[in-house]
Amino acid sequence: MNTHLDEQHISAAVAGLDLEPGAGEHLASCLSCRQRVAAFKDLIDARGAQMAAEMPDWDRQREEILLQLPTNPVGRPMRTRRWMRPLFAAAAAVLVIVGLELIWSSTPTSDPAVELKVPVEQILAEVDAILADESLPGFESIDPGVEDPQSYFDNGAS
Amino acid sequence: MDDSRSDSPKEDDALVLRACNGDHNAFGELVNRHQRRVWMVCRQYVGVDEADAAAQDSLVKAFTRIGDFDRRAAFSTWLTRIAINTCLDGLRKRRRESLVTEEPDDGETGGLLAQVPDDRVGPETRLQQQQTVAGLRDRERDLPPKQREIFRLRFYAEMELEEIARTLDIHVGTVKTQLHRAVHRLRGELGAYR
Repeated sequence: MNTHLDEQHISAAVAGLDLEPGAGEHLASCLSCRQRVAAFKDLIDARGAQMAAEMPDWDRQREEILLQLPTNPVGRPMRTRRWMRPLFAAAAAVLVIVGLELIWSSTPTSDPAVELKVPVEQILAEVDAILADESLPGFESIDPGVEDPQSYFDNGAS
Repeated sequence: MDDSRSDSPKEDDALVLRACNGDHNAFGELVNRHQRRVWMVCRQYVGVDEADAAAQDSLVKAFTRIGDFDRRAAFSTWLTRIAINTCLDGLRKRRRESLVTEEPDDGETGGLLAQVPDDRVGPETRLQQQQTVAGLRDRERDLPPKQREIFRLRFYAEMELEEIARTLDIHVGTVKTQLHRAVHRLRGELGAYR
């Protein structure tokens, strides 16, 4: 590249961006173009130096910061990222399911039919026993051994 | 060059581990390494008058949240992001609409720049330089906010392009484009530097 760099290339060089090989080679060999780049860089540096003159006393600032520190870093409350929330929800659901499964599996296996058989038989036997017990009040009146049915209606008057 | 630019992430990580356990000396060393950049970043966002307070606030926040530093980025990048967020929070509280739209007048033309000794040039040249620097400051203010932000982070906070991209969570190509536009525009408006 024999001609000087155009303004776009000079700006790119000032910005520190990569130049195309031809432009880079020209810049390396051309004093004029380098001066154009350096002129603006110097201006930026001058502005930076101006700001540097405003800087605080670093030792003083550091001491003030250290005085403000809590004894230990405070743990921030766990903040879940939005994209992680469905994962946490799914994990919680899996935990619940696994937990319920464990509870159910710890209960002895039982056959409802077998389990219910004994109580039903017991109940029936108790009912039969009750029906067979003639001494129970109320059951005398239906005693099939009663000879005079009229006596049902006498109310003790005769 | 900023001391904090001598990046040594491994040493930072070791200090972070100690700071996580409440070691104030370790955090003091981290402050020592990075306070200049933090201040310079804050300076770009809130102006010189409030930069010190914002920088201190940022560094204290960094300590309290240091357990959240996950090393996905360099500590300096993480810290810079805290500084920027702290400044933006402060600006929002004051209901400012954009970055440093009302940057305090630093009075460079007659004040601070005159304090910077420059024995190489005479009074007339120095005055001309002061005026040109003031011109750059004024033109910077007229840049679009994103260009201004990237320009200042690159040149005054001395951040690398990739680090700016990570800090602002934008593509490095965007950083390059915006930076080029900012420089080109400033050079165009400061005609003497063409």
